[in-house]
Amino acid sequence: MHRFLRRNAAGYLFLSPWLIGFFFLALGPILASLYLSFTRYDMVTAPVWDGLGNYQYMFQYDRRFYKALQVTFLFVALSVPLRLAMALGVAMLLDKGLRTIGLYRAIFYLPSLLGASIAIALLWREMFGLNGVVNGVLALFGIEGIGWITSPDTSIYTIVILAMWQFGSPMLIFLAGLRGIPRDLYEAAEIDGTPPWRRFTRITLPMLAPVIFFNLVLQTIEAFKTFTSAFIISNGTGAPADSLLFYTVYLFNEAFKFFRMGYASALAWVLLIIIAAFTALAFATSKYWVHYENERD
Amino acid sequence: MTLTRRRLLGTIGAATAATALPGLPALAQERSIRHFWWGNPTRDKNTFAVIEIFQGNHPEITVSGETIGWGDYWTKMATQTAGGNMADVVQMDHGFINEYVSRGALRSMDDLVGDKIDVSHYDEGANAVGTIDGSLYGISIGATSQAIPYNKKVFEAAGVEFDPLSWTTDEFADACAKITESTGGEVTGSEDLSLYIENFEVWVRAAGNEMYTEDGKIGCTPEDVASYWAFWKELRDAGVIEGKDQTVILDKGMAELGIVKGNTAATFRYANQVGAVQALMVDPVGVAMVPQRPGMGYGHFVLPSMFLSITRDVGDLDAAALYINDWINDPESIVALGLDRGIPPSQTGREALAPSLNETETAVVEYFGAIQPKIGPRPTAKPKGAGEVRDAFMRIGTEVVLGNMSPEDAAAQFTGDAEAILFRANR
Repeated sequence: MHRFLRRNAAGYLFLSPWLIGFFFLALGPILASLYLSFTRYDMVTAPVWDGLGNYQYMFQYDRRFYKALQVTFLFVALSVPLRLAMALGVAMLLDKGLRTIGLYRAIFYLPSLLGASIAIALLWREMFGLNGVVNGVLALFGIEGIGWITSPDTSIYTIVILAMWQFGSPMLIFLAGLRGIPRDLYEAAEIDGTPPWRRFTRITLPMLAPVIFFNLVLQTIEAFKTFTSAFIISNGTGAPADSLLFYTVYLFNEAFKFFRMGYASALAWVLLIIIAAFTALAFATSKYWVHYENERD
Repeated sequence: MTLTRRRLLGTIGAATAATALPGLPALAQERSIRHFWWGNPTRDKNTFAVIEIFQGNHPEITVSGETIGWGDYWTKMATQTAGGNMADVVQMDHGFINEYVSRGALRSMDDLVGDKIDVSHYDEGANAVGTIDGSLYGISIGATSQAIPYNKKVFEAAGVEFDPLSWTTDEFADACAKITESTGGEVTGSEDLSLYIENFEVWVRAAGNEMYTEDGKIGCTPEDVASYWAFWKELRDAGVIEGKDQTVILDKGMAELGIVKGNTAATFRYANQVGAVQALMVDPVGVAMVPQRPGMGYGHFVLPSMFLSITRDVGDLDAAALYINDWINDPESIVALGLDRGIPPSQTGREALAPSLNETETAVVEYFGAIQPKIGPRPTAKPKGAGEVRDAFMRIGTEVVLGNMSPEDAAAQFTGDAEAILFRANR
């Protein structure tokens, strides 16, 4: 014990703000929500034990729960690959050794800082509105625009585009990863006359696999949790016709609009299990496609 | 210093206590209350004026006003209710008051009435809706009824002639066609009211049904819903009402309304809001009844447009009671409030207000008087879950507006869903 402490005390000391926050601010509410998920609780009167009632209702009767899953899965499936592709693309452009790279990095990171804000969500709503900028540009080419946000067939894509635009943090991580690839690999390939596309698929991608994996896991979790943009753009309801009923939006409404904190807690736990399952799946498949350079076999 | 568990917990306890302290009156002479309402630009201005007057009369009390739009109001209210930090005085709506009373979030005012709050001059039955299980929880601060505000200039230019107090749905449809045609489609006849459950309620009552039965079940029939959505579908298909892209935006702010933006010539509002619509427009606004279907009743009813309630979390009860009492009794405050929250529910209030009314407000008061003989009995209070039924109406109605569902199928789904919602909310 004594030796353990001596070796690791500094580490735990640096971790302590997080640990204190986790044990005193997060763990309590997490356990409370697990308990509440088995109750009916309207936030004003005391919770009433309901066993598996919430979960039974959710899986057996709740059409909107399935609708919310459908919307969220579609969003994750579209936005994560697009955002990662965008991030990798921009990172590779910036990796060309520009002198003003610091400036460009900051500029490309900016949307990630702004993107989650309410102001940008409002701006998005205006841009894709019937008389918005997007339709204005389309009109220049003689294309008659539609109400992108007010049509359930297209509304989700506006949020996918918004998510794609916030590629900053995976981009920075990719950029660091790209810097870590030894230059001599490329030089050797160039001398052998390997075309650029093959250099990308045979050197860049495999060497970057651990970073891609890291970004994939992080961004998938992030995408499942998307809330602000969908909430603001759909006026908090998931409208039109529940096409923007993201899981978190549904959860929020159940909790804070309809006073069903017990049910909302159950929804939260199901989301947690879904995210955990996807993360586990990513880890399980990773051994087939992620290779770490220092793990020689 | 070693950090023991006990010491750590003690520190946290002390920190918690410290943050709780500001809730107590730190300076004994400083009394303050919070008032939270949903508003619009006109209402916010008027309400802050009333707060000024109150603070002038009672310098020892500070009132902090908090305002937000209707859409976000109930979310914020629910959050504050859960957090135990509701404002001392809140604005309540007849569709929600039952919900809050049944959850114990509001405080009965029985012990204050007659002593600290004077309502002796109120009209007979004015506080009936705010009285739940024999106790007064919401003091009516204005009476109102359904109305169709319309752009007088556009109606006249299109040559529409009608009696605003007895027009029919056929005449309404004709007017929409005429306006759309005469403006070359620049201005359509009306907003598409498919998703306004408040307007639909008039339709239901005109057919002799109620939105909700006395025992809190859904009272409108699938035929009511289907015929309503079919009526608007016909106008929509003919292109004489506002397009679907505008229609499916729910609970638009007043500045976003088609009538304000000049895209359409009419909309639905409660009569008390007509003044606020006019305030955002140049063209003169008239007030008409909701058009009646030939051979059917009017379906209108009078309701308290809003209530003042004291919450469970009230701090300074005396100050809150004093504030409410001034609201409904002080002539200066009544004038400052104007008509935006409804017609004052007492003769004294109406007399105090009369000299200060502008043209639109006078028209609203006249409208309110003129519809009295055509008004049916007040419906029973809305059951718990009514707010969610409203959401379902808009959600399923959207499918009809977008052409994804027929009015009949959608109507069957709505009544089914509404039944399930009410069952779940009241079990």
